[in-house]
Amino acid sequence: MASGPLNGYKIIELAGIGPAPFCAMLLADMGAEIIRVDRTIPADLGLPQPREFSVLERGRKRIAVDLKQADGVQTVLRLVGQADALIEGFRPGVTERIGLGPEDCWAHNERLVYGRMTGWGQDGPMATAAGHDINYIALAGVLNAFGPKDRRPLPPLNLVGDFGGGGIYLALGVVSALLEAQKSGKGQVVDAAMVDGAASLGAAIYGMYAAGTIVGERESNIVDGGAHFYGSYKTKDDKYVTIGSIEGKFYEELLEKTGLTHEDLPDPRERSNWDGYREKMAEVFETKTRDEWDQIMLGSDICYAPVLTFDEAPKHPHNAARGTFVEIDGVTQPGPAPRFSRTPSAVQSPPEDTGANTDEVLTAWGFSAEELDRLHDAKAIA
Amino acid sequence: MGPLAGFKIVEMFCIGPGPFAGMMLADMGADVLRVDRPVERDYGYPDHKYRTLYRNRRSVALDLNTDEGHETLMRLIEQADGLIEGNRPGVAEKLGMGPDVCLERNPKLVYGRMTGYGQDGPLAQKAGFDINYISMSGALHAVGHADRPPVPPLILAGDFGGGGMFLATGMLAAMLEAGRSGEGQVVDASMVDGSAALMSYIYGGHAAGAWANERESNTVDGGHYVYHAYECADGKYVSVGALLDNFFENLRDKLALDPAEFPTRTTRDTWPAKREKLADVFKTRTRDEWVELFADTDACLAPVLDLEEAPHHPHNMERKTFTEHGGVVQPSPAPKFSRTPSEIVREPPTNGQHTDEALTDWGFDAAELAHLHERNAIH
Repeated sequence: MASGPLNGYKIIELAGIGPAPFCAMLLADMGAEIIRVDRTIPADLGLPQPREFSVLERGRKRIAVDLKQADGVQTVLRLVGQADALIEGFRPGVTERIGLGPEDCWAHNERLVYGRMTGWGQDGPMATAAGHDINYIALAGVLNAFGPKDRRPLPPLNLVGDFGGGGIYLALGVVSALLEAQKSGKGQVVDAAMVDGAASLGAAIYGMYAAGTIVGERESNIVDGGAHFYGSYKTKDDKYVTIGSIEGKFYEELLEKTGLTHEDLPDPRERSNWDGYREKMAEVFETKTRDEWDQIMLGSDICYAPVLTFDEAPKHPHNAARGTFVEIDGVTQPGPAPRFSRTPSAVQSPPEDTGANTDEVLTAWGFSAEELDRLHDAKAIA
Repeated sequence: MGPLAGFKIVEMFCIGPGPFAGMMLADMGADVLRVDRPVERDYGYPDHKYRTLYRNRRSVALDLNTDEGHETLMRLIEQADGLIEGNRPGVAEKLGMGPDVCLERNPKLVYGRMTGYGQDGPLAQKAGFDINYISMSGALHAVGHADRPPVPPLILAGDFGGGGMFLATGMLAAMLEAGRSGEGQVVDASMVDGSAALMSYIYGGHAAGAWANERESNTVDGGHYVYHAYECADGKYVSVGALLDNFFENLRDKLALDPAEFPTRTTRDTWPAKREKLADVFKTRTRDEWVELFADTDACLAPVLDLEEAPHHPHNMERKTFTEHGGVVQPSPAPKFSRTPSEIVREPPTNGQHTDEALTDWGFDAAELAHLHERNAIH
């Protein structure tokens, strides 16, 4: 039995890349039974890697189905008939053409929550255009806010589009629609678009911009690295530390620990002072190693932390004590989040290979041995 | 009327990711009641209407230092499906509203706790902000230019994407479970955990040897020339995200690049030179000229819009990605639901703006309200 609050919920994932698999990982970590439906012939995405490194695919069974065959589509529809939700990340209209669109699915199961993950959304003039994270966050107005002011905007990896503004929006929408379906007995479409999600993550930023308390230029505001009291600084050993001393009492502590004074940095809230003050602050931080700053700062309320690399973060005493990272099949990876006190989430299983569980899953979901033989013979499943 | 119509949430005074979770739940139709303090701190907003994270809900002001104020809170909690709090660990317990007390009054309560470092561990009691939490998860180190210190992607990866979103999602999952078991529980959402979880794909890539620790040297960190923001003739930018071969081929054709010089698969060491070459190409036209040129091409190219432009882009207009409510342009509720659409129905409240109205709806009668006012338990 899977652990986690979603134990007992059944979700079909039509295989894709990026945000939809991330959504499925979150739901699987929380205990939902996810069946990932892959193609019988794997797509060549130019990024081949052994299954254990495909962290987003952990915690679920994988079946391979040929969706170009009617038998394949019917096979998925039989699963849909027993599922609580389906998630897919094709361009708009594709599942309809396959015969697995919302109406096709509701004909088999009117309670089904139909989760759709795209970059641009299900409609609008750019709906069918190709794109990636960087494009979606560009259109949401947030990419322009990331990076130094004298350089081009820089994508924060794909954290704001694919994941923070994408997959987790779909997960939130799906669980919300599941709650509603319990009352109404009806499913619906959840349209999660990364443009919408990335914009939504910027709700506070847009509010502050409208209020005139932030400006549109990069690195010119408090939380974009513009202010000398909020940002990252290089240390003597070429590592980095972060400070976030926004509140007055924390700022006083920052001055005390860095040895800077109000005479050195008069009028610290005045934007036009910040470039120069950042330089002064940078000079101070370069005089000691990161570990030395740890010793000085960690006992204080400065809002300080060392900047950790991928290799360091899992080993940091706080992360180790919390079990923030786990090791699955030799691969160190972030563990399930958030945490539940009574029904803890878990990495239910390592990532599987494509089609690793086809017969096992279909048998468990009610297909007979004869049916499996026939579907295999027709190459509708693999 | 969003999908959460009929669910009731109590949101305790907090800032940042807690209110963000409250906004998400309120946008989806939950009756989120914000419990504010009688006296408000000044956060520098010229008007409440700009505090977008507080939209779609009502505010009651309680003085928890009075017995009656505390008991008023408990009566709200008895009726709630979920609670959001964002104090440092142990503070809610000191206020007499920790999980044990609340779950005793309401066994099915989902008790959502939002912090930076989590409910335990050696740093649990430390002060911090978004930038500190994302630096602890390995996320911040990966963001920025190779020759500069890391830059925070505002507060989107910690407070919001890695914080409030995880709390909101976890609370709804726990509410689904409570519907079956009749029992609530604590949801511990920490921004270190959440921003780490956002990095799951990257950690897998790093373990596979495909993702280097150095900034601006990987596929999606601005290192790769096919995944990049390029400056145009007018000083504006286009984003190029042509990671897949067929999209890059379309880009190459349209820019008349030499396939011998720009093959679909290249090694990392060749990226900086190719970035410079493409940077020169993109400087030859304005941003909007490039967008026009690529309008019918699947090359993953989009304009980089600023906060002023994004709400007015035709795609965002047609999708209603942004809404003007109460005179403030802001991102609309997301995601979108087909049968039970989310909407913005209320402006952000001032502290205690709805004390009498909301408490009446939550079952307090006029005599009780008068008594509570008299005792300064509510404001």
